[in-house]
Amino acid sequence: MAAYIVRRLWQMIPTMLGVILLVFVLFNWVGGDPAYVLAGKISNQEQIDNIRRQLGVDQPYWVQLWIFVKQVLTADFGASWSTNERISHILATRLGPSLTVLVPLLILDTIISVALALAVAYVRGSLTDRLVMILCTVGLSISILVYIIVFQYFFAYKLGWFPVQGWGSGFWENLVVYSSLPILIGLVVSIAPSLRLYRTFVLDEINQDYVRTARAKGVGENRIMWVHVLRNASIPIITYVMAALPGLLLGAFLIERFFSIPGIGREVILAVERSDFPVIKAITVYVAFATILSNLLADLMYKAVDPRVQLK
Amino acid sequence: MRDLRVSFRLDRHNTFEAVRGISFDIPRDATLALVGESGSGKSVTALAILGLLPPENSIVHAGSEVVYGGRNLVGLPTRELRALRGADISMIFQEPMTSLNPVFTVGSQLEEVLRLHRGLSGKAARRRSIELLDEVGIPDPAFKIDAYPSQMSGGQQQRVMIAMAIACEPKLLIADEPTTALDVTIQKQILELIDDLKRRHQMSVLFITHDLAVVGEIADHVVVMRNGEIREQGPARAIFETPRDAYTKALLQCRPRLDRRPTRLPVIDDYMAAGHHGPAHLEERRRGVGAGDPVILEVRNLSKSFFAREGLFGRREFKAVRDVSFTLRKGKTLGLVGESGSGKTTVGLTLMRLHEATGGEVLFEGRDILRMSEAEFMAYKRRIQIIFQNPYASLNPRFTVGQILTEPMMIHRIGSSTQERTDLAFEMLAKVGLPEVSFYKYPHEFSGGQRQRIAIARCLTLRPDILICDESVSALDVSVQAQVLNLLQDLQDEFRLSYIFISHDLAVVKYLSDQVMVMNNGELVEMADADEIYRAPREPYTQRLLAAIPRGWQPARA
Amino acid sequence: MSTDAATLPRAHRPGGPREVPRHVSPGLWTLAWRRLRADRVAMVSLWIVAAFLVMMVLSGSGLIASDWSREVGVNYAPPTFVGPDAGGQGPGAASPHGDAGPTAASEFESTVVDPIGDVIAELRRGQAPSGAAHGGDVVDPLADVMKDIRSQKGAAAGGTVDPLADVMKDIQSGRGAPAAAAAEERRATLPFGGDKWGRDVLKKTIKGSETSIFVGIAAAFVATLIGTLLGALAGYYGRWIDDALNWFYNVFSSVPYLLLILAVAAVLQQKGMTTIILILGLTGWTGIFRLIRAEYLKHKGREYVQAADAIGASHGRKMFVHIFPNVSHVVLVQLSILTVGFIKAEVILSYLGFGVPVDVVSWGSMLNEAQNELILGKWWQLAAATAAMALLVTAFSLFTDALRDALDPKLKGLKGH
Repeated sequence: MAAYIVRRLWQMIPTMLGVILLVFVLFNWVGGDPAYVLAGKISNQEQIDNIRRQLGVDQPYWVQLWIFVKQVLTADFGASWSTNERISHILATRLGPSLTVLVPLLILDTIISVALALAVAYVRGSLTDRLVMILCTVGLSISILVYIIVFQYFFAYKLGWFPVQGWGSGFWENLVVYSSLPILIGLVVSIAPSLRLYRTFVLDEINQDYVRTARAKGVGENRIMWVHVLRNASIPIITYVMAALPGLLLGAFLIERFFSIPGIGREVILAVERSDFPVIKAITVYVAFATILSNLLADLMYKAVDPRVQLK
Repeated sequence: MRDLRVSFRLDRHNTFEAVRGISFDIPRDATLALVGESGSGKSVTALAILGLLPPENSIVHAGSEVVYGGRNLVGLPTRELRALRGADISMIFQEPMTSLNPVFTVGSQLEEVLRLHRGLSGKAARRRSIELLDEVGIPDPAFKIDAYPSQMSGGQQQRVMIAMAIACEPKLLIADEPTTALDVTIQKQILELIDDLKRRHQMSVLFITHDLAVVGEIADHVVVMRNGEIREQGPARAIFETPRDAYTKALLQCRPRLDRRPTRLPVIDDYMAAGHHGPAHLEERRRGVGAGDPVILEVRNLSKSFFAREGLFGRREFKAVRDVSFTLRKGKTLGLVGESGSGKTTVGLTLMRLHEATGGEVLFEGRDILRMSEAEFMAYKRRIQIIFQNPYASLNPRFTVGQILTEPMMIHRIGSSTQERTDLAFEMLAKVGLPEVSFYKYPHEFSGGQRQRIAIARCLTLRPDILICDESVSALDVSVQAQVLNLLQDLQDEFRLSYIFISHDLAVVKYLSDQVMVMNNGELVEMADADEIYRAPREPYTQRLLAAIPRGWQPARA
Repeated sequence: MSTDAATLPRAHRPGGPREVPRHVSPGLWTLAWRRLRADRVAMVSLWIVAAFLVMMVLSGSGLIASDWSREVGVNYAPPTFVGPDAGGQGPGAASPHGDAGPTAASEFESTVVDPIGDVIAELRRGQAPSGAAHGGDVVDPLADVMKDIRSQKGAAAGGTVDPLADVMKDIQSGRGAPAAAAAEERRATLPFGGDKWGRDVLKKTIKGSETSIFVGIAAAFVATLIGTLLGALAGYYGRWIDDALNWFYNVFSSVPYLLLILAVAAVLQQKGMTTIILILGLTGWTGIFRLIRAEYLKHKGREYVQAADAIGASHGRKMFVHIFPNVSHVVLVQLSILTVGFIKAEVILSYLGFGVPVDVVSWGSMLNEAQNELILGKWWQLAAATAAMALLVTAFSLFTDALRDALDPKLKGLKGH
């Protein structure tokens, strides 16, 4: 077990170096000279000179790469180009609001989707099943933008059930008052694809031989679905949820933007709009690292829930 | 328990009748064997008894009756049916690996049955489960009860299935091909276990199988099915000694036997033709290798290892083949037998360089083909060809048969023009007994036996010297198997081909081989002339292996 | 070795010595097509998708909707079936900027404005006029540019008979849109309403569809090509090639997809159709790479490939002549899944202003405008863009599902045993 984890951690290093290289190539090589990028955005020539010196723009590429690697390792990306806020501070303060929306969203989405998937798979082939699936397809075909625009307009602006946007200071206030509508929209958007996917997981299991064995033993249909099938289907579901975790951090960026929730996703959009490279670089690298780690975690969980897999 | 009376009349959807109105009785305390080839409807019958057919695509026709204990099980409310399942009537399946739920321990799956039908729970259920595991011969049951199915061997998994099936002392045990997926030595143990349990618990057993040899060993009564209909039924003695139906006769004859080796195997058509009683007498073919037979292939110390990553940097070596040496003589057949995991298939693939050998030499006409460069090997590649086990997977489904047959010739520049190659392909089709129109068809339009003929034709286009048959007839039904074996024999006679015939089926190997080589755990156990090895095996492993072969009907038993 | 699928005899050559009746046998593709034909949902979806594609081609070649930017109606002209705006916005009466809206709406607008909206506006103003139209602010900094464009086009197309009248009549299936000659003055209503400048929403939607679908399809082709090629190489050859390509894949897939797109968008300063196609294509190949790699790994071990090896087929031949046709259904299904995904991604990018250039209309840029119009109660542009997208994407998805079922080789015994 320990040897396995150590080996996996060891194997991560090339991937992490690759991410650093990718980000470096993208921003330092494709992106070009910050003086050019920032022309017209920052009028203060001294500040631009300062930024160029920090990045080592006039030096060879390998020196620039080394500067960047040092930034990653020390978690010190300097300050934002446009607001001068420390980037470590930006990341620390933006994480909370993002999680406030995303954690409840993920939990609710998983519970609702799994329950619906079991129900729909149980009546597979029926009219209900087909209607739900078509509804999912239609629901999926509408852009998330439309859901946000329409829901915000009706529920917040027209009906006044929720605040149109904003963010408070207390956790419960944020969760209950400001996050409710964003979470609702997030659910509407995320349940359709999750349900479709989980349904196929469940269907894969329903057709297995062990289900026939359970029936031959005289086990009831409810117990077959909720005990035998669910336990097996939960293996791919857990893996999927774990792997989707870091992506979610970004996935809700449109929601954060529309509802003025000061989270990571909104920060990325702002940074892209302002060409605030250090912020994007920092977020990209750390989110990628988080993904790599959660992939490992997903693997470990997979091995923990599936007795067929032996750790080597 | 009163006599059990079962009669059927059920239909499958889509105008396909899997079982067409069959009737038979299962007597108390006896074993009834339901025999048939694939598509005969024998498994459908078994599933229908317990109402386990998938409801979305199967229709049990009105009027069908499955009478158990005075009640008709067809149309019985699910709740009542469920009370019977696992308690009065229980079932075991072909694939023990997939039939057990992989994420629950063996114990919890056993306890589930006990809780459902016996109301046992907690310690009592666990104690009973351990007893059951002990009864079916699982070593160290108190420990194994907490194992997951994947931590057990195939034979043990099937034992657990049996433990689950007998947990509630059922009156009837339905066994659907319970030993087909197992090695022959394990098969023998499982058969003995079922027979033993049947006697101890006074159960009836409905034993479903395609293997007449197995039937001969265990059955009291036999029902022979074909295409959803019953061809013949009666006591085992009557079926085996005085079969009345032509199909039954054919089935009994076309399976190669250990004690006889006719020049040709009888095939179904010989019997099904009206009024024909089959070839009356068939000459015995003599097998064996003489000192004068020229050696075509010599293998010295062939080894093949696979590596798996392990630990931080380490890798674990798995030796699939260790130091195997043998010679193959021109125009002769070398049988290669062994149980699963013995490395016999790996030998075949390594000879062809489909796997890269780890060590050893393969001398073909004195030259080591393992050391040759790719370009040099091309010429020899043509001369060693292979026929695989699964006729469904070995033909590219996107090619027409014509493309399949002409491609090898094109690659090896046999025939000067497309026209010539096409003509050659037609010739080969005729040789393997397929109509000319097959040239334009796709593989999916053919049956398993026909596809295997196409695969043989593909090899023949290259005019090889050596043909490796890797379980080439194992996936085929008995009647088709006989036809393909005859074809292989004819081709050997005509072209003086040398065969390496790899199979787990000892009877088939005996029929076709001049020499037999037994493998176990990657090592060569014994090699000798076929007749000799079957008559007087020297090594204990070979003896065990041969003893496990189902002998079929032994008149002395009755 | 000159080996090529085409040189294999597909049919017995006519005039040969052997006279066998030419048997036309259905291949797997034909069988799949037959299964697909039997599926009514799939066929309806296929027709809808085909109609959209025809529309895209016609629009792209300038046959329809080429005059989409003409201001033919009043500002915010309502759809004909709703009737003229009761608020009395006569022809030319309203200002081009929606400041005539209700006060409540104006207030709302100011609250919706991003807290940093000003900053951005400032930045934009400082920038070259190629900056994107950006949501959250009704005042369009690009109005001048647009006006220029429009006046040019208007001059060119002025006074001609509306070439689209017939087409539109068909589309609306007889909803009362009189095929009137182009009026010099702006009309009070338009078939499906007008936008802020009084441009026909219907034509705008057609033009927007052209952009969005084209970007989606083109990017899907780029991504599929990259993913398939790399996946085939990695899966087939294994060893160090697989290790290297897997590393490449791991690097790309550990950056969440949208973040990667945004990062690339941030770096590439110039905007254009090619840019967005490349952004989507170069970042979206990972999924198909993984699938194709797995397929090649699986098929490499299949007996028919070993059989091809045994008869001496070369690597290239095994890879592309033998294996590829057997995995091509995966490629096809992935291609259509990617197309749907990229259409949706383009909409989001264009909405945010990182997508297509400002003078190009797409569903995303329409939604951008529509957001503010909705607050004013002008729902039709939102409805038109949403409906067009939902219809296409639903049809496309249903067709993809049906395609997957029809191509599933399970029925053909490939997975047998």
